[in-house]
Amino acid sequence: MKCYLGVDIGSISTKGVIIDDDNNILASSYIPTEGSPVTAVKKLIKILKDKMDDKYIIKGIGTTGSARKLIGLLLDATIVKNEIMAHAIGTLSLYPDTKTILEIGGQDSKIILIQNGIITDYAMNTLCAAGTGSFLSSQAKRLGVDIKEFGKYALKSDNPVKIAARCTVFAESDLIHKAQAGYKKEDIISGLCKSIVLNYLNNVGKGKKIKEPIVFQGGVSKNEGVVKYFNEVLNTNVIVDDNSHLMGALGIAILSKGKTDKTYDLNIEDVSFQTKARECKGCSNNCEILRIYKDDKLIDNWGNRCDKYIKN
Amino acid sequence: MMGKYNIPVKYLLSKITHCIIIEPEKITSKTIELGNKYSPSFVCTPFKYTLGTMIESLDKGANVIIQAGGGCRYGYYAELQEQILKDLGYDFKLYNLVTASNLNVKKLYNIFKKIDKKFSVIKAIYYLYITKNMIRYMDKIDDYVRLNIGFSDKKSYKKLMDEMLDKFIKVKNPISLYAIYKKYNKKIKKVKVNKPKDCIKVGVIGELYTIMEPFANYFLEEELAKYNIEIKRFTNINYLLFTNKKVSKKALLNTKEFQKYKMGADASSNVYFAKYLCLKNYDGIIHIKSSFCTPEISSMVLINKVCEKYNKPVIYFSFDSSTSEVGIKTRLEAFYDMIEMRRNR
Amino acid sequence: MKIGIPKALYYYYIKDFILFLEKLGVQIVTFDTTKEIIDLGNLVAGDEMCLSLKIFLGHVSYLKDKCDYILIPNIKNYGKNDLMCTNFTSLYNLVSNLFHVNILTYEIDYKNKLTEKEASFKIGQELGFSKKHIIKCIKKSKVTYNGNLKSKIITNMNNLKSSKKKILIVSHPYNLYDEFVGKPIIKYLENLNCEIIYSDLFDAKTTSEMSKYLSSDLYFKYSKNIIGSIVISNENIDGILFLTTFPCGIDSLVNELVIRKINKPYLNLVIDDLDSQMGVITRLESFVDIIEQY
Repeated sequence: MKCYLGVDIGSISTKGVIIDDDNNILASSYIPTEGSPVTAVKKLIKILKDKMDDKYIIKGIGTTGSARKLIGLLLDATIVKNEIMAHAIGTLSLYPDTKTILEIGGQDSKIILIQNGIITDYAMNTLCAAGTGSFLSSQAKRLGVDIKEFGKYALKSDNPVKIAARCTVFAESDLIHKAQAGYKKEDIISGLCKSIVLNYLNNVGKGKKIKEPIVFQGGVSKNEGVVKYFNEVLNTNVIVDDNSHLMGALGIAILSKGKTDKTYDLNIEDVSFQTKARECKGCSNNCEILRIYKDDKLIDNWGNRCDKYIKN
Repeated sequence: MMGKYNIPVKYLLSKITHCIIIEPEKITSKTIELGNKYSPSFVCTPFKYTLGTMIESLDKGANVIIQAGGGCRYGYYAELQEQILKDLGYDFKLYNLVTASNLNVKKLYNIFKKIDKKFSVIKAIYYLYITKNMIRYMDKIDDYVRLNIGFSDKKSYKKLMDEMLDKFIKVKNPISLYAIYKKYNKKIKKVKVNKPKDCIKVGVIGELYTIMEPFANYFLEEELAKYNIEIKRFTNINYLLFTNKKVSKKALLNTKEFQKYKMGADASSNVYFAKYLCLKNYDGIIHIKSSFCTPEISSMVLINKVCEKYNKPVIYFSFDSSTSEVGIKTRLEAFYDMIEMRRNR
Repeated sequence: MKIGIPKALYYYYIKDFILFLEKLGVQIVTFDTTKEIIDLGNLVAGDEMCLSLKIFLGHVSYLKDKCDYILIPNIKNYGKNDLMCTNFTSLYNLVSNLFHVNILTYEIDYKNKLTEKEASFKIGQELGFSKKHIIKCIKKSKVTYNGNLKSKIITNMNNLKSSKKKILIVSHPYNLYDEFVGKPIIKYLENLNCEIIYSDLFDAKTTSEMSKYLSSDLYFKYSKNIIGSIVISNENIDGILFLTTFPCGIDSLVNELVIRKINKPYLNLVIDDLDSQMGVITRLESFVDIIEQY
């Protein structure tokens, strides 16, 4: 059976799916990246392979997410694409009528507007990671709550505390103040969830016409508290798919279809894959050149601003 | 100093004064690091970059710094920068040519008299004329290259332009300047261009410093060229020094439905540029500025309205010295994908 | 006839004009800043706009169906070297694009001889009043306004002799007197038994001249006034509180320059999000502690 692999390597988590010709998800996995995309992807591929029976052949591989380029090299991917496109395609395959996609991931958040299946506008968060997944998990840790329980805590409260979440630094100090002032934990968590929604709409969603149907995805969409406040503030019911965290991987798998006749094996476990950083001394820019070695062979390098840097 | 404009400025100063001109280094990450370290936290980015450049030049032995700017808080940079540098222990003179967006000729004369006792007005006017032409020629060539760099060999352009500038700095009169320009204009136009008729076209508008200093916009134009995009931009020194006023008048007349009063710096002109790009059926608009650039923050609201009316995509970049380069690339790639999708509809 | 005036930004600079409108017989509608108004502002304002501008937009949004017209002057300059922050020339354009409201507007551009007097005639006539009546009201409002201002300045000067610890608050009036930005801070400091000296309540001509001692290039009219107040009061005050809203472009430069030149205890307080008041209080408290030690 012909299959396609999609891998979405984010800063916090790595997601992978294998789909068939009709875009059905045959296997999927979701693991933390833990700062090492290569190791994570090796692990991910192993899990996916174990989930498949033997009769499949991979006819396309796509990578997306912040480490898409590196992992694209590792897997010799058919297609390497940014996550906006991948997310839109993934979602549209399940909800073809979607007009708005709200996405909050580990370090990025974005909004994608769609008309008749065409992306017409999008925006991403600007300055910092305030109001994204990594921010939420660090605050959960601070409050001593498991991130998976975070949303449930939020639902317990009817009285969210107001939290200044425009900027991570401000938010963090405000959060400490509120905790010290003796507010209930669930009220603080609930307030944090609400502030994430307001912050998102004020920043990423500013000036965008949010039309229904609205799909909410990305890691943070698993948080019931944030979902609740999106519904409340937008006065609607946002769609959250069971696989809402896999949309990027699904989309890039779909995009890899029909691009090549090649067949891929997925034996990368023993491939040694190394990135070495080196400072280019060509000028005082001191660009950090990343050199990618596959089995000790230099296969690519990037990071230079000019042409001065010569290989090796 | 922005982009390649250090050449005409160096030319002018070396001709009209008898000073040794210390050319600032190209902006590098070291410049930015220095600027960041000594700047207050939420000033706009150009302040940080120019401060970094000044420190580097002082370290190279400069003892006179000339700064010019106006239209918003640009004009006020100099005094604070001088104070910061003096507090750091540097010994120098700083002359601010433009403050409240007024260029006072008499003040200018006095400044140059102070810098150089042998300063002659007639000589100055003569070389000012040459410099003006030099900038105009540079901008003309630049405009041409911008339209075509996405479709031809970037290196041969760069080589020819560098060659031309090398010759520019040695010219003695307007005629030889013109001759060099003609020659290189021809050469540059001979570079093979492989441009499809219906290539993707985008306009780049926004705050002037960020537009003109490639380091401040993370080499946005080079990045766009990789996607084979034709780039239109309005802002260059010629615009800034000579056509600015005319354009901003025209801007208000042509965008009455969006604005009644002229806003600070280039904010109103940018609204007009946006409308122009929409009417000329460009595929998209990229608006860039440094973080916290006040006039442009307002113009963005209006530009949004323009693009909404004409149903054109617009993307905003607010650059800061700590902006992630990967993030910019992702957004640009997505912008390109979106434009392609819209076209294939 | 009801004219709405957002209690933000220019409101504090056109008090004489507002008085004139009242004398004309126009009803003025204006509100103190509230949390609701700030939230309304946040809904429409750009992410990077300064808090003061966000508050302004919130006021417009709140006023929009409570009056017939909203008054938005376009204050460009008060002469060659007396400019305004560029936001002041964006206000009309912003409001006309963001809201569906009737706007009453005039221009202040001394460089092109557009002064308050021209504005009074323009608006007065637009509202259907006779020239004679307008002239009468201009005179009346001038007398009242100048009288009020003078007595405020005298009180402020007298407070410089107070035996309490005196803190000069250097801030734009639209921050200083805002119900959510400056007022709580003033109240808090007064509760700590401090005397507040207001940077805007000095003779404007004198402060404008005096500001040159701290900054020779300064060309923002109202920055000159508040910075000049430092020079005038320096001998008599115990500390300076710089109060600014995030990310004010002018203050980011001017305050930095001034702070490098003063020799008093100071606190540079930047108000960003109004939800985080507690951090502010901690800082104020320690500032007063420092002053007490002096």
